[in-house]
Amino acid sequence: MQPGTGWDEAHIASEVVARKVERILRDASGDGGRGLGAVINDTLYHERVRLQGAPDDERTRADGAFHARVRRDLPHATPARQRALVREIVARYVGEITGHFDPRVYRFATRVLPYALSGLMQGFSPSALLGELRGASHLDEHLLLEGEVEGLQGVAALGTVILAPTHSSNLDSLLIGYAIYRMKLPPFLYGAGLNLFSNPLTSFFMHNLGAYTVDRRKADPLYRETLKEYATVALEGGRHNLFFPGGTRSRSGEIESRVKLGLLGAGLAAYRHNLLRGSAARVFVVPCTISYPLVLEAASLVRSFLQETGRSAYVVVEDESSRAQRWVDFLRGIAALDLRVHVRIGRALDPFGDEVDAQGGSLDPRGRPIDPRRYLLRDGAVTEDPARDAEYTRALGRRLVESWRRDSVALPTSALAFALMDVLRRDLAQPDLYRLLRAIGADTPVDTARVEAAVDRLLAELQALERAGGLQLADGLRATDGRGVVDRGLRGLGAYHATPVVERRGAQLVVLDADLLFFYRNRLEGYGLLGAPRLCPAAGPR
Amino acid sequence: MIAVLGAGNWGTTLADLIASNGHAVRLWTRDPAQRDEVNARRSNEAAVPGLRIAEGVSATSDLGEAVRGAALVVMVIPSRGFREVSSALGEVLAPEQAVLHATKGLERESNARMSEVLLAETCARQIGVLSGPNLAAEIARRKPAGTVVASRFPRVIELARRALSCPRMMVFAGDDVLGVELAGALKNVVAIAAGAATEMDIGENAKALLVTRGLAEVTRLAVTMGANPLTLAGLAGIGDLMVTCASPRSRNHRVGAALARGERLPDILAGLGMVAEGVYAAVAARDLARVHRVEAPLLDGVYRVLYEGTGCEQALRELMTLPAGRDVARFQSAS
Repeated sequence: MQPGTGWDEAHIASEVVARKVERILRDASGDGGRGLGAVINDTLYHERVRLQGAPDDERTRADGAFHARVRRDLPHATPARQRALVREIVARYVGEITGHFDPRVYRFATRVLPYALSGLMQGFSPSALLGELRGASHLDEHLLLEGEVEGLQGVAALGTVILAPTHSSNLDSLLIGYAIYRMKLPPFLYGAGLNLFSNPLTSFFMHNLGAYTVDRRKADPLYRETLKEYATVALEGGRHNLFFPGGTRSRSGEIESRVKLGLLGAGLAAYRHNLLRGSAARVFVVPCTISYPLVLEAASLVRSFLQETGRSAYVVVEDESSRAQRWVDFLRGIAALDLRVHVRIGRALDPFGDEVDAQGGSLDPRGRPIDPRRYLLRDGAVTEDPARDAEYTRALGRRLVESWRRDSVALPTSALAFALMDVLRRDLAQPDLYRLLRAIGADTPVDTARVEAAVDRLLAELQALERAGGLQLADGLRATDGRGVVDRGLRGLGAYHATPVVERRGAQLVVLDADLLFFYRNRLEGYGLLGAPRLCPAAGPR
Repeated sequence: MIAVLGAGNWGTTLADLIASNGHAVRLWTRDPAQRDEVNARRSNEAAVPGLRIAEGVSATSDLGEAVRGAALVVMVIPSRGFREVSSALGEVLAPEQAVLHATKGLERESNARMSEVLLAETCARQIGVLSGPNLAAEIARRKPAGTVVASRFPRVIELARRALSCPRMMVFAGDDVLGVELAGALKNVVAIAAGAATEMDIGENAKALLVTRGLAEVTRLAVTMGANPLTLAGLAGIGDLMVTCASPRSRNHRVGAALARGERLPDILAGLGMVAEGVYAAVAARDLARVHRVEAPLLDGVYRVLYEGTGCEQALRELMTLPAGRDVARFQSAS
């Protein structure tokens, strides 16, 4: 059969529908199958639950009408008619997922985006942005692109790439879009949450970034499987993809320690399909960290983290990032405060989590070359084995998390927050996190000299950690001392957020927002720094 | 074709069992004399006295020859030599090959589990662990037994069952690799305490007390590290503990008995002439309990008897005068 790299968008969409429908028919028939009627009823059930809570708009009404028709038809549908209904449901999902994609607009937007972001930082109004094609140099000063850039460019020429960054902010996808442009890479497909389409500014970019739509409120398993199938087929079609394996933005501020395996497994599935089709096209997964001195929506993220009790379902929270003005304020703030966001590219991996060399060859843990295809062999032939492949994907997830931790860039804001929180923790001696956060306030000032001393100790540990390859340091933490870091950290933590997180009052520091201090210190959680116990509750079971 | 690496008493016994089930087995041993003895005389007297090794076993001293083409590689190497053999295995192993290890121990210094060593040294991913109440001497004499194979890969369990399962060997399945590995390693420490208790003649009540509280400590530690609590109630936990504590034949039991007689550790080990994993596991248990902030007074007591010259009587007295807390953790009903 033909290799997939020549597939156009229409072919990808029809391939997704064909595969998904074929799989449903196969699974529903036979002894263990539960029949097509049950599959369709499942969709109707999940969608009815979703629509009950959905806003009364055009989209909701259209979905409602479609479901009503399916519900009417289903009881007296012949097997042929049931198959047609399944095809309609899947095709509708695929249409929704890919609806926003227009490759011509995408290419245009990729060229415009950097100028637009630069414009924001220089203070142009959003409406004037698109006409303002000024140099992007201003942005380059605030977005540092580091790490294995050449490695990424190399594997992108050798095969299809999944770029897998840490996820802190809705700004991430825009910054990565810009980083991709600066690395002179072709466009990456990106599954953007529906909520990003609700803010006019982000909506413009999402519509045009090659973004496809992910509606997290759709609980229908069929929808989620269709999403994964779309990503898989797109990868087979040679489209580079941007995944955020953590799933949602880190609400605690900590680097994600768990990843969602569903979408991540698309890389392995695409590679396996390529092999079964007789194509040797390879798939690479490239980890990447985004380290912010300040996080646009930190306040609402940390509050939602602290409020969360147990495993609540995903709730779309109205937050700062849904308002265009906040994006403008944030970008201007970064520029005005002369802060730097670090985007750091990690070493490329194969879909099994093995590191790859400059030629794209996979290496075992001791650096010996191996043939990754052989991980899929059974009795000499490439096979599909869902249990086996899920385990390989888990291993890939673990390697991603390890890579993120090594490539995370420590910044003065997090260093100050970590040291200050540790001093407060010792002083206040509260039995748990929540009481500690409540106890911190204007009436618990700390002598600046003590914080500087704690930062000095932290710096020594951070520098040792960096030498051991365990973490990266921003320039702001090199060739400086506790006093310098406190100054820099205060510049960031004192200025952007509605309430300053920390403020200098005479010879003392006062914390005005303990939740945000917690959020920023969490970026350095889990490295065993300052002998501090873990403050951030570990992520619950998934 | 199945490869068995290591021709000690358990490795030789497993090779014989697998060959008796009709599979071709390549048994790897570093020692050419042992290789020749197996191939020429069908025996391995130093390891398993009296066993006539099944015809399907062919011994080799060439690791590549042993491993090449094997669907399943069974590693039966003591924890001390495990990394070295794994590193050599990494040179010859292919990514699709499954590796099952049967080593009940943790690596010294690093406290790494054997599956972690395999992951670090080789391209192996389809890894499993074999453990349970399996006295090699009984299995070599064709007595019935059961064992557990844990792997996250169903294929590994399928291959292991195909190799081992027969009317005299039941093979139970699991997916808690970490739990089975920790149970297999740490129960050896409890077995040393049981051996000492037997020798001290403090009665069956006291012995049951020691073993149960020891298992509670092992469980607490393993669960803190991520194990399924029920794994410790399975063949690799209670099952193995019962056989190790009941049988004076077990090496760890013998170490405990010798300690209770007041013998010194170097002399005991010299007299044993074999590996007693519990002697090393006691160090690992103490380290791990500290790192994971788990209270483990019994495991700690065994360590102090082994390495700090504490007498068995004194260690027992200390344990008996500790404040007694809850017997078991509170039950969290599912409803």
